[in-house]
Amino acid sequence: MSGDPLLQVVQVGIEFGGLRALHGFDLEVRRGDLKGLIGPNGAGKTTAFNLLTGVYVPTHGEIRVCGERVNGRQPHQINHLGLARTFQNIRLFRALSALDNVRVACLSDAQPLFSRARIDELRRRSSGRSVVASAMDALNNYVDWWRALLLTPGFQEEEEELTRKAEELLSVMGLSHRRNEEARNLPYGEQRRLEIARALGTRPRVLLLDEPAAGMNTREKADLMVLIRQLRDQFSLGILLIEHDMKLVMGICENITVLDHGVTIACGAPERVRQDPKVIEAYLGDSYLASHGMPVPPATPTSEHPVA
Amino acid sequence: MPPALRGLLPVLVAIAVLAVLQLLLGGLPFFVYLASIVGVNVILAVSLNIVNGMTGQFSIGHAGFMAVGAYTAGKLSLLLKDVAISGLPGVVSDQVQFVGTLLAGGVAAALCGFVVGLPSLRLRGDYLAIVTLGFGEIIRVVVQNLDVFGRALGLSGIPQTSSLFAVWFCVFVVVLVARRIVGSTHGRSLWAIREDEVAAEAMGVDTTGYKVRAFVISSFFAGVAGGLFAHFVPIINPGSFTFVKSIEVVVMVVAGGLGSTTGAIVAAVFLTLLPEALRTLFLNVGAGASLAQKVDQIRMPVYGILLVILMLVRPQGLFGTREIWDVLPRWIPRARKGLT
Repeated sequence: MSGDPLLQVVQVGIEFGGLRALHGFDLEVRRGDLKGLIGPNGAGKTTAFNLLTGVYVPTHGEIRVCGERVNGRQPHQINHLGLARTFQNIRLFRALSALDNVRVACLSDAQPLFSRARIDELRRRSSGRSVVASAMDALNNYVDWWRALLLTPGFQEEEEELTRKAEELLSVMGLSHRRNEEARNLPYGEQRRLEIARALGTRPRVLLLDEPAAGMNTREKADLMVLIRQLRDQFSLGILLIEHDMKLVMGICENITVLDHGVTIACGAPERVRQDPKVIEAYLGDSYLASHGMPVPPATPTSEHPVA
Repeated sequence: MPPALRGLLPVLVAIAVLAVLQLLLGGLPFFVYLASIVGVNVILAVSLNIVNGMTGQFSIGHAGFMAVGAYTAGKLSLLLKDVAISGLPGVVSDQVQFVGTLLAGGVAAALCGFVVGLPSLRLRGDYLAIVTLGFGEIIRVVVQNLDVFGRALGLSGIPQTSSLFAVWFCVFVVVLVARRIVGSTHGRSLWAIREDEVAAEAMGVDTTGYKVRAFVISSFFAGVAGGLFAHFVPIINPGSFTFVKSIEVVVMVVAGGLGSTTGAIVAAVFLTLLPEALRTLFLNVGAGASLAQKVDQIRMPVYGILLVILMLVRPQGLFGTREIWDVLPRWIPRARKGLT
């Protein structure tokens, strides 16, 4: 928990037609953070992820990645700023080998004409709309294609470097033995791990994990908990994860945000969140509260669904 | 092998081999004609495979880009017919002009590819198919109604400067380009788009940019193929670039296996020679010239039937996404694969 926030979400909301899928969402992830995002089905967790990664554009509020406002930027641009994710329903490149899955993410960062720093600087100053920066990017890319087609010695070196990096990530995730196997042929747990390896290939500073433990058995879940902590320390990441498995979330997250019907109903340390009557109500219903002699919280404005 | 040589060696070898072939077989007119037709179809199939196979988009207007290349190169050659570059012998001057017009044809087609591709490739789904289909028809109708392009009669009298060497060197270049794309970061990004566009975008791949680049490269080579075509057939007219031609190329790519370069080559060679072989067969068994001529007309039904059989027996095409050396028996030495 140090330094400036890598991911900063301020009062973000999105409406689909008249449906408020997410409303007034606040979040901050710093280096070394391990935060959790939970909530019943349909609470807006994955919507939140899709907003952060640029799949949806928020209708309200502001999202900043590493200090830069990213509202309306394309997902790949946001990824380049240092935000990577995994998917709830595994979305590997099924026909590609495990190694190639990671190598796609380890995009070569070739800068044959203009340096990345210079382009990024231009982008920052114009809040992502610089034509010159785009032209520089395009020219870089153009030259890089020619280097690939002519198979220049420099290009070959870069390819080898890239392969080395990908192999390293595979070995961190314990997948070295699957190097040349097609992703679709891997067992489920390994596919989940390969997705994380792929996300790490993009050199993220914040990693978003969407239900990383879904479909895993108890043993695999325990291993995953150790692994997630290890990744955070080894790559000095900030991690935000969505998870349904309470044991896992309560076990590793230092801070948990609870969503229900698109609104944050609780936020804080796991012990506090666990005892919050609103959270218990959202998960178990108010009849449970009443039958156990707990106070029933007043109805929140969230229980109405404004539909246009 | 030193890295500097790895890039260049195939080109040198190809030039040497093709030069020998040109010397040996260049004097047989019918053979050269047939080899040129096959070569042009191979270029079309391999280049379309970059878009339809590797990137997983669906373009069905390749004949349109071929037409742009053919008419641009053909018209330029006609204009430059009586011009010679000073200080060069006539033959050399002709060849320099020929190469120039080919490049012009390719670039014109690539520009069209950019204009057509940029808006339609931003979207996911079948939009590209609709737009390219429309583009192919528009090009055909436009040349059919412009006096500069000879309307329905087409262009004739284009200098026949093409040769076995020229056509097959272009074939070599397009295959080399396709293989090198597959083996590079760029190729992997294209495959990633084919597999899962949302995931590719989330992993930092500029999906729209990559799709457009693949499409422009593909259009460029279609234009070159058209340029070559214009320089060895006696006449080019809108009838050579109909929707049927586009479908023919799509059939080649699908039959060879979407994503397999060697598959596209094999399918293009086979499907081009099939009608020729049938024609010769009918002539030899004495079925009469009329039946032999009908072969051309029954070509499309035959393609259709072949495609249906293929879809039933081998839906992934001849080689699927693999290359010929991946499916050869083990005792044949294998080439290094681009994708592991």
